[in-house]
Amino acid sequence: MDNERPIKRFLPLRPVEFHILLSLAAGERHGYGIIQDAEARGQAMAPDVGTLYRALRRMQEQGLIAAAERRQAPDAGDERRNYYRITPRGRRVAQAEARRLEALTRAAQLGGLLEEGAI
Amino acid sequence: MSEERWLRRSERWLRLLLRLYPEDFREEMAEGLLEAYRDRCRAAFRRGGVLSLGGIWLRSLVDSLRNGVGERVRPGITWRRVGNWGRDPELVVRRLRRAPMFVAAMVGTLTVGLGAFAVVYTVVDKVLIEPLPYDEPENLYFVWRDYGPIFDLNRGWLGGTDVVALEDAGVIQEVAGVERDDGVTLTGGTTDGEPQEVAVMTTSPNLFELLGVQPELGRGFTPSEVGPGRPAVAVLTYGLWSQRFGADPSIVGQEIRLDGEPYKVIGVMARDFSFVQHASLELPQSADLYTTFDLNLAETNPGAGSYAGLLRARPGSSPEAVEAAVATVGRMVDERDFESRGLRLYPVAMEADLVSRVRPAIVMLGLAGLLLVVVLMVNLATLLLVRAAQREREFAISRALGADRLALVRATLLEGGVLGALGGVGGALVAVWGTRALVALAPLDLPRRDSIAVDWGVAGTVIGVGALLGLLAGAVPAAWATRTRLATLLAATAVRGGGGHGRMRRAMVVVQVALSLVLLSAGGLVLRSFEQMLRANPGFDPSRVLTLRVPVPQARYPDTAAVRSLHERIHAGLSTLPGVRSVGAAGALPLSADASQTTVGFPGAPGNTGETEHDRPLVDRVRTRPGYFEALGIPVLAGRAFEETPTEGVREALIDRTLAAEFFPTGSPIGATLMFFDDSLRVIGVVEHARLYNVYRDDRPQVYLRTADFLRPTLSWALRTNGSPLSLAAEAQATIWEIDPELAVADIRSMDQVVSDSVRQQRVSAVLISGFSLGALLLAAMGLFGVVSGSVTRRSHEVAVRLALGAAHGRVLRLVVREGMVLVFLGLLIGAPGVLLAARIIGGVLVGISPFDPPTLGAVAIGLALVALAACYIPARRVAGIEPARLLRQD
Repeated sequence: MDNERPIKRFLPLRPVEFHILLSLAAGERHGYGIIQDAEARGQAMAPDVGTLYRALRRMQEQGLIAAAERRQAPDAGDERRNYYRITPRGRRVAQAEARRLEALTRAAQLGGLLEEGAI
Repeated sequence: MSEERWLRRSERWLRLLLRLYPEDFREEMAEGLLEAYRDRCRAAFRRGGVLSLGGIWLRSLVDSLRNGVGERVRPGITWRRVGNWGRDPELVVRRLRRAPMFVAAMVGTLTVGLGAFAVVYTVVDKVLIEPLPYDEPENLYFVWRDYGPIFDLNRGWLGGTDVVALEDAGVIQEVAGVERDDGVTLTGGTTDGEPQEVAVMTTSPNLFELLGVQPELGRGFTPSEVGPGRPAVAVLTYGLWSQRFGADPSIVGQEIRLDGEPYKVIGVMARDFSFVQHASLELPQSADLYTTFDLNLAETNPGAGSYAGLLRARPGSSPEAVEAAVATVGRMVDERDFESRGLRLYPVAMEADLVSRVRPAIVMLGLAGLLLVVVLMVNLATLLLVRAAQREREFAISRALGADRLALVRATLLEGGVLGALGGVGGALVAVWGTRALVALAPLDLPRRDSIAVDWGVAGTVIGVGALLGLLAGAVPAAWATRTRLATLLAATAVRGGGGHGRMRRAMVVVQVALSLVLLSAGGLVLRSFEQMLRANPGFDPSRVLTLRVPVPQARYPDTAAVRSLHERIHAGLSTLPGVRSVGAAGALPLSADASQTTVGFPGAPGNTGETEHDRPLVDRVRTRPGYFEALGIPVLAGRAFEETPTEGVREALIDRTLAAEFFPTGSPIGATLMFFDDSLRVIGVVEHARLYNVYRDDRPQVYLRTADFLRPTLSWALRTNGSPLSLAAEAQATIWEIDPELAVADIRSMDQVVSDSVRQQRVSAVLISGFSLGALLLAAMGLFGVVSGSVTRRSHEVAVRLALGAAHGRVLRLVVREGMVLVFLGLLIGAPGVLLAARIIGGVLVGISPFDPPTLGAVAIGLALVALAACYIPARRVAGIEPARLLRQD
């Protein structure tokens, strides 16, 4: 499987992948929770459910995330949900992606595309 | 409508959409996917009611279409769908390493089998099947004279007049006459080339057009370059061009000398061009260069046959039509030149004519090779059955533990494919080397010898077939694993502990024994025949004799006095070499098949019958110098040999044993008169028949004349030595060049080599077929060994009980051995008719023994039975190791 794959081989991440890691970095989430997080981040187009679950499956296989305990969601009565959590490896990949984006943004600033402190 | 109801509807819609995803994705992710959508739908309904929900429905449709199809086309996790091919090879290697014997047996079997098959296929294909490298070779024929009642020669050269007459025949497009001369000395063309003997094909100028080939360099002959006073032009073969002239293209236009005469090189043939002149009595022979007749064929003596006649029929002519047209010309020739005494002309298709001599041997070897391949296939099937049986238990357990059926099939197929491809590679290597070895062993005159090589196509096919056989082989246990219901598999394994298919394996052993018997019998017969051939008395003593030939160019030695003096000088020079006991020379050495033929008569001999055909026999005429019989060790049976100084005014002759027995059965032929054309000679002695064509068969009777009386410039010299003859080769050559540095010295061989070269074809047959049959024997023995040791393992309980109850070890041993030997005798019984059939097929290539030779066949059967007995006895001895107490306690 992909456990041996070096971190930078994952970069750049797809938007949906970065959203997933970003959400899970804050704590365990179920699928719809990740979509809600993405919507809350102000993305006009949050990932579709199908896209999300394909990515979840792929990233699980790559060892970036893992299935967490199945449990009741606090906001959905007694319905149980599949939760996911980020792995240490996933966290490292997310950090690397964030650094990559940061460097790009800085370059954009230096190039005059962004105003200082616009982030 | 309530929220609950709409949500249930949404759920049904979403479950429908889920079908767009591949099954394995659904299995893992459907639950989560539905949860998320359910949450989404609930949120949307609460926010905007049915309208909003409709938006989600639409969006989910687009989403599922995109991602469902996307997941099918580019799965996130590849190996789960098509199998973990990355991991499978590792497992296969690990599994095979646990069964090294199986791997060795399987790869070895395939290597030998495919290799043998490829070698046999290559030889048969190149010699018998692949068309000759000419344009429309099926329209090419050689034409021969059958002298019928005129004299005893039914495959004679044509007269030049016959060739001319054929030009006018019905369906014939082109005719060419070809004459070959191999004693020509080539000089010039290079600065430092030694004089070299070459063979020259003198032909009609249209030979190359007739064959449909063109020189690669320069040009061929023009129609005007023939006849008296024709420009002396020559076309080189690729071989001579590269060997003597270093493949220098500037040779075209330069001058070379043939027997001292200048010839201009006008062309060089391509590398793949080969042409052999089919001979009336001897073997087909090639030449080094080509030139044209300096005479008019129409003006040659019709009575003398000297030309190989080659014709191309018009496209679409049937062989019957060609035969009829040639026969019509033959009748005309018979009437015109032979007073209608019964001469006949007949065509033989070029290819059939070329391979007719070797066809029986090649067909025999081909069949033997195929038989071996069948034995190998049986062996392979047996191996796989055993393997399948062994893995039955493994399959059962794997599947009980929940292994995917497809995964098992995949692994088994991969295993078979890998082994098959390995065997294929081995087979291809064996084929390449085997073919090379075979060509090295093969007689120099094997038709199309040079083209026999494994090409990439054959090698690729062998590897492919190997992999395919491996896959097929893998499919047997794979099918076993999937078809059988799990319960049955487990039950059967539990009861039998694996190792089923006993009956099948036994049947295969019987088949192997039967086929081995057939192959061994054929091998035994061929070997015995070869042995007979080597033991045959050739009529001379080949040990410690050096032979060489010195062609004498007429331009350099134009008159008889010069030639005689040269012969004397060579004789004297060779005689003074250290270690030489005697020197002799002749126009044709034994086994050279090089003599000319003539009819002779013995007027007043007691053996005459009054019939011309009997009283004027066709004989081989050999011209010799004094000392020849001594040098070659040909016994003088009566009278004396030629002496140094001839008797004044008398021409002397020696006859061989066969002539003496035929014409002088009672009295002595010494002093009798021998008529030879208009000459009468005195018979002064009788010598042994020194075989001229074959070490094992007498041919025409022989008459020996003196070179002094019937001069022949080019002679072969024989030196009887005290030590190793070949160590004198360089000195002998130096001696000749001291006498005349322009003379070529050709064909330096010891007489032992000459004998050995003459039986090359038989040696190849003997080596190949004994290899094939020993291989078959080994395989049969392995099969038996397997069956009997399997039986010992399976019956160990029974044996233990028997031993515990007091049976003697020897008795139990016999019981187990008997089980194997029953199979052997069944095999021998079934093989017997096959042996008779094989004997009939190979009868044609056997020499000196009957194809049903009882000692040979008996020895083979007994030998096979003994080997089989050993193959049964060795595993059966394990019975002795069984300790009943321990074995029975285990249960």
